[in-house]
Amino acid sequence: MVRINVIDNGGQWTHREWRTLRDLEVETRIVPNTTLLKELLKENLHGLVLSGGAPRIGLDGTLGNCAEYLDNADFPILGICAGHQFMARHFGGKVKPSKAPEFGQIELTLCVEEDPLFTGVLKKSIVWESHNDEVTTLPKDFMKLGESENCTIQAMRHKKKTFYGLQFHPEVEHTQFGEQIFKNFIQLCEE
Amino acid sequence: MFHAERFIDKTIVSLQKEIKGKALIAFSGGVDSSVCAALINKAIGKQLIAVHVDTGYMRKNESKQVKQMMEDLGLNYRFITASKEYYQALRGVEDPEKKRKIIGEKFIRIFETVGRNEKIDYLVQGTIAPDWIESGGGLRDTIKSHHNVGGLPKDMKLKLVEPLRDLYKDEVRKVARAMKIQVSERQPFPGPGLAIRIIGEATPERTRLVREACDIVEKEIERAAEQGLMELPWQYFAVLIPIKTVGVHGDKRAYGNTIAIRAVQSVDAMTCHYSTIPHDVLDRISTKITNTLQEKVNRIVYDVTNKPPGTVEWE
Repeated sequence: MVRINVIDNGGQWTHREWRTLRDLEVETRIVPNTTLLKELLKENLHGLVLSGGAPRIGLDGTLGNCAEYLDNADFPILGICAGHQFMARHFGGKVKPSKAPEFGQIELTLCVEEDPLFTGVLKKSIVWESHNDEVTTLPKDFMKLGESENCTIQAMRHKKKTFYGLQFHPEVEHTQFGEQIFKNFIQLCEE
Repeated sequence: MFHAERFIDKTIVSLQKEIKGKALIAFSGGVDSSVCAALINKAIGKQLIAVHVDTGYMRKNESKQVKQMMEDLGLNYRFITASKEYYQALRGVEDPEKKRKIIGEKFIRIFETVGRNEKIDYLVQGTIAPDWIESGGGLRDTIKSHHNVGGLPKDMKLKLVEPLRDLYKDEVRKVARAMKIQVSERQPFPGPGLAIRIIGEATPERTRLVREACDIVEKEIERAAEQGLMELPWQYFAVLIPIKTVGVHGDKRAYGNTIAIRAVQSVDAMTCHYSTIPHDVLDRISTKITNTLQEKVNRIVYDVTNKPPGTVEWE
């Protein structure tokens, strides 16, 4: 069975990420972001979700031990909201307070024809947001996958590794293709 | 997927291990505490005592109905009327966090008294995931202190038992249906009750106004849903906003309060979309509230905020 743990960065929806994975029959657990990598690796991990959270990545560049995970993981990682912003900052991108923060229902537009994380997701779809900061400059090794009217980097991926970042929240009930995105991520972890 | 039957079996076994002796349950009559009571009843039977507190902030006839419910369920229960104490404790209190903490502490002091008198060590609460998530702690910001988590006093003596901590409302309802609990579909009602549906001081008079308005909103929306005019919202109620505006009543100037109509669609309370209420229904609610509350309320507004950025309740 696939195991994907959720790193808790203090999000309101961390437990929803856990629930979505559990509902999709994945072995999962919520783990504090202070956990050392060697502790994490005691379990046979197939993937990791870096949750969102109250920390302001646009103002302060730390997020527990997430840097250690990103530097050493040989499995897929999905960063959500603050997790996504931290991923961008860690790999050399820029994160700043949003000029127009987004809360609630927003339209996401995908800017690539095909990506395994977005298989079965329409080019335009409804996603739910809740962020004060955002990625303003992509890291060198990343490509942009999606945008919204007020936030140019809604989704990104590493060009070589299976690392994804999403500014919106696929784990909440109201995001139209949220479950599909999780299914796709699980599939990436199985491969 | 969440399997209600599996959850029930597992929980009963672990409750039997966890509870040694008598336990009391904080019983509001809602789906969370009813499911909890049913689970504990299966685990320890007559050792369970249900305690319902009428805080004075319950809806119309609610405590009376809860009493009847405890009778019908054959629960060993204590019914405590404490409205005077609650009104007294909340006198002059406007801050929503202070309200929640005062109410939370009062609940515990009442339960401690029952516990002391009847030699009970365990307090069972129907806490569910959004309660502790929103109450914050550690890295997580405090959105609001739920009375049963963030509102607990630090020196509490009773040992907490919370079998539903990892569940959301839709999952609790699944358990309720599996256990054939009557209130499985009842809409959520917060522990602090009407006190957090009054912006500003929750005086007895303001409570009377919001109670009446909530009753009208509930009845009209339920009737509209029965008639197929709209989908029954996940939660629906009135909020009293003590901001006065000018009106005209029978050729005379009126200067009364404002009531907001709030209704949302949700599955788990973690994200919500405001409900679309047909204009005819809004119209009926508006006329009925203003005609019932007369000089006290002369303006009705309709809340069209999602969560986020809003929350379901206003406080």
